[in-house]
Amino acid sequence: MNYFPDEVIEHIFEYVGSHRDRNALSLVCRSWYRIERCTREKVFIGNCYSITPERLIQRFPSLKSLTLKGKPHFADFSLVPHGWGGFVYPWIEALAKGKVGLEELRLKRMVVSDESLELLSRAFPNFKSLVLVSCEEFTTDGLAAIAANCKRLRELDLQENEVDDHKGQWLSCFPDSCTSLVSLNFACLKGEINTGVLERLVARSPNLKSLRLNRSVPLDALQRIVARAPQLVDLGVGSLVHDPAMETFAKLMTTMNKCKSITSLSGFLEVTPRCLTAMYPILPKLTSLNLSYAAGIPGSDLIKLIRHCKKLQRLWIMDSIGDKGLGVVANTCKELQELRVFPSDNIGQHAAVTEKGLVAISMGCPKLHSLLYFCHQMTNAALITVAKNCPNFIRFRLAILDATKPDPDTNQPLDEGFGAIVQSCRRLRRLSLSGQLTDKVFLYIGMYAEQLEMLSIAFAGESDKGMLYVLNGCKKLRKLEIRDCPFGNTALLTDVGKYETMRSLWMSSCEVTVGACKVLAMKMPRLNVEIFNENEPADCEPDDVQKVEKMYLYRTLAGKRKDAPEYVWTL
Amino acid sequence: MEEMVMATLDLITASPHSSSSSSSSPTTDNNNNHPSSSSSSSSSLCLSSISTRRTDLSTDLRLGLSLSPSHYSTPSREQRSSFDWPPVKSTLRCTLVEKSQISLFVKVYMEGIPIGRKLNLLAHHNYHALVKALANMFRTTILCPDSHQLPLISGNNVHVLTYEDQEGDWMMVGDVPWEMFLTSVKKLKITRADRC
Repeated sequence: MNYFPDEVIEHIFEYVGSHRDRNALSLVCRSWYRIERCTREKVFIGNCYSITPERLIQRFPSLKSLTLKGKPHFADFSLVPHGWGGFVYPWIEALAKGKVGLEELRLKRMVVSDESLELLSRAFPNFKSLVLVSCEEFTTDGLAAIAANCKRLRELDLQENEVDDHKGQWLSCFPDSCTSLVSLNFACLKGEINTGVLERLVARSPNLKSLRLNRSVPLDALQRIVARAPQLVDLGVGSLVHDPAMETFAKLMTTMNKCKSITSLSGFLEVTPRCLTAMYPILPKLTSLNLSYAAGIPGSDLIKLIRHCKKLQRLWIMDSIGDKGLGVVANTCKELQELRVFPSDNIGQHAAVTEKGLVAISMGCPKLHSLLYFCHQMTNAALITVAKNCPNFIRFRLAILDATKPDPDTNQPLDEGFGAIVQSCRRLRRLSLSGQLTDKVFLYIGMYAEQLEMLSIAFAGESDKGMLYVLNGCKKLRKLEIRDCPFGNTALLTDVGKYETMRSLWMSSCEVTVGACKVLAMKMPRLNVEIFNENEPADCEPDDVQKVEKMYLYRTLAGKRKDAPEYVWTL
Repeated sequence: MEEMVMATLDLITASPHSSSSSSSSPTTDNNNNHPSSSSSSSSSLCLSSISTRRTDLSTDLRLGLSLSPSHYSTPSREQRSSFDWPPVKSTLRCTLVEKSQISLFVKVYMEGIPIGRKLNLLAHHNYHALVKALANMFRTTILCPDSHQLPLISGNNVHVLTYEDQEGDWMMVGDVPWEMFLTSVKKLKITRADRC
C-alpha cells in the first residue's frame, strides 16, 4: 500500500466510515496516520474531558462533524449533582477560533448555554445539523438564534432536553428564505408555539422528512400541518386529544391516509385513547413506534393498535400493555429488532409485565437484538429460555422494579439466568443487571461476555471478587457503572492499568475509600479521578478512611479539568 | 412479618437506607419470605400509619416501592441521597406523574409576596429538581438544601426553602429523605437566607 500515491490511499479511505475503523487505520503507520487525519471529517468524542478541543482541531483540520458526550450516564437518574460540568461553550469557542468548517454538532448530556448556541449560529456559515440529547441550560432564545442565523440549517433535533421556554417566538425566527429543513424535532419543549408559523414553515420545506411536535400542537393544527407534508417519513404527534368537532377528526384520518411514506411514529404526549384510530391508516407501514410518553392509554387500546403493526422493527411502549399484550406483539411483529418496555405508574394494577411477556417476545421475535425491559419480576427459567431463543442480543438491559428481587419461583438469585444470557449471546455489547445477584453472575460475565463494552450494576454482588471477575475477564470493557454494591478498595486497586483501556468507571455508594482513590490517582497520572463531596463544606479535607459517596474516573489526555465545581475533587 | 414491619418502621424513622436493624442481615438475606409479597406492602402499611392524611394507597405503594430495596446494607452505611430506582429518565418520570391521577399540590409563598403559587411536588423527583423548579417560578436564587454553605454576601436575592410539617412546625427543607418529606409537608415558604 505504501507504493500508492497519497491520492489513491485517500480515495480508499473514503470508503471507510466507522470511527473505529478509521482509528485503526491511523495506527498502521505514519503516512496512514497523516493521510487519515487530513481526510477525517467526522469525529466522535465519548467523553468531552478526555481531550482538549485545541488538540482535536490540530489533528483533524478537515473536521466537519463532531459528536460530544458530557456527563456520565447515571446523570440521567439524578445521580450527578447540578453543575458537575460538560460545558460545550469552550468547544464551540475553540472551533470558531480554529476556523473549523463545522457542519454538524451532536451533543449528549452536555450543558449548552444560549451563549453557545448564539456563537454556534454565527461562527459557522455552513452549519447544517444540530442534535441535542439530554442537554440542559439553553432556552428558546438560543433556539431563536439558531433559527435566525443558520442559513443552511437542515436538522434541528431536540431530544429529551431540559429547555426553559421563554415564550418567545423562536419558530418565527426562521426566515422566509429558509427552505432547507429536513428534520425538525421540538417535542421536548414545554411551551406554546404559534401553529400558523409552524404551518408556513412546513409548507416551505419540501425536503422535510422528520417532524416531531410538542404537546402544544392540537389536533386540528396537526391535520393542517401533516396535510402540507405528505412526504414525511417520521412523525411525532404532539397532542391527540378529542376535538369536539368530529369533522376535524375525520379530516385527520383522511390526511393520514394520504401519508404513504410515514414509517416512524412517536409522541402522543397528550392523548385520548379513542383518537388513536386516526393513526390506523399508517400503522401497517410503520417500522418504528414510540409510545413511551403516552401514559394513560389502556392496555386494550395498545393491543388493538399493535395488531396493525406487522412491519414493526422498533417498539417503545409502556408496561400497561401487559404480558398478554406482549404476547400479541410476539405474534404480530415478526420483524421486531428493538423493544423497550417502560414502567407506567400503575402500581396497583395487575396488567404489568413480568417474565412471561419477555419469554413470549423471545419466542415470537427471532430478530430481537436490543432490549430495555422494566418489569415486576424475573425468573432464571425465563432468562434461560430467552437466552436460547434469542442468541443475537447486542443490548440487554433488565430493570426489575424491586431492585434486589430474587427469582420468585425458586427464591434464588438471578445469577444463572444472566449467566445463560452472556453465555448464549456472544455478540453482547451492553448489559444492565438487576434482581438479587451474587458474585457468581460476575464470574459468568467475566468468563463469557467477550464483546461486552458497557456494564451497569446496581445492588448486586457480595465481595470485591465480583468486580474483579469483570475487570479481569471483559477485555473489551469500556464503560463500567456501579451503584450500591459492596465493592471496595481491593477491587478498585488490583488492576489499575485496566482503567486506561476503558473510557470511564463510575462507582457510587460502594465501599471505596478516599485513600484508595488517592492511591489510584497517584499511580495513574493519565486518569482523572473525581470524587463528589456534596455534603461537606468545600474546604474540609476528607479523611483517607472515609467512604466515597460518588467516584467517577476517566482516562484523559487533557489533564485535570479547570471547570469542576467546588464539590468535585480531582485527586 | 411483624419483625419486618418493625424493622421497616425503624428504617423510615431513621433514614430509608441506614442499617438501623442491628440484627446484621447478610447482604443476601431474603426479606421476601413469601415470593409473592415484596417488602413494599409492609412499608406501605408503615407509611399510611405515619401519614394519616395520605390515604391514596397507590401513592403509598409507589413511595414504598422506592424504599423497598434496602436489603443491601452494611453496618455503617448511611445514604443521604434519594433512591433513584427504577432508572427512568427524569423527563419520562415527570410525564408519568402528570398523567397519573396522583398529584400533591402544595401552596408556595415567597417572603414579601402576598399571592402564593401552587406546585405539584410529585412532578419532581428530588430536592434538586424541586429547588430548580421553584427558583424558576419565583425568579430567585434558592440555596440547594444539599449544600450547607452560607452565602458570603447577604443579598436580597438569596433565599432558602422551608416547609410546614404536619405538626405545624416550620422546618428547613432537605434534612430528611425526599420520600419522607413528601409525607410530612403541608406548605412551602421561600424565606430570605439572612433570616435563617
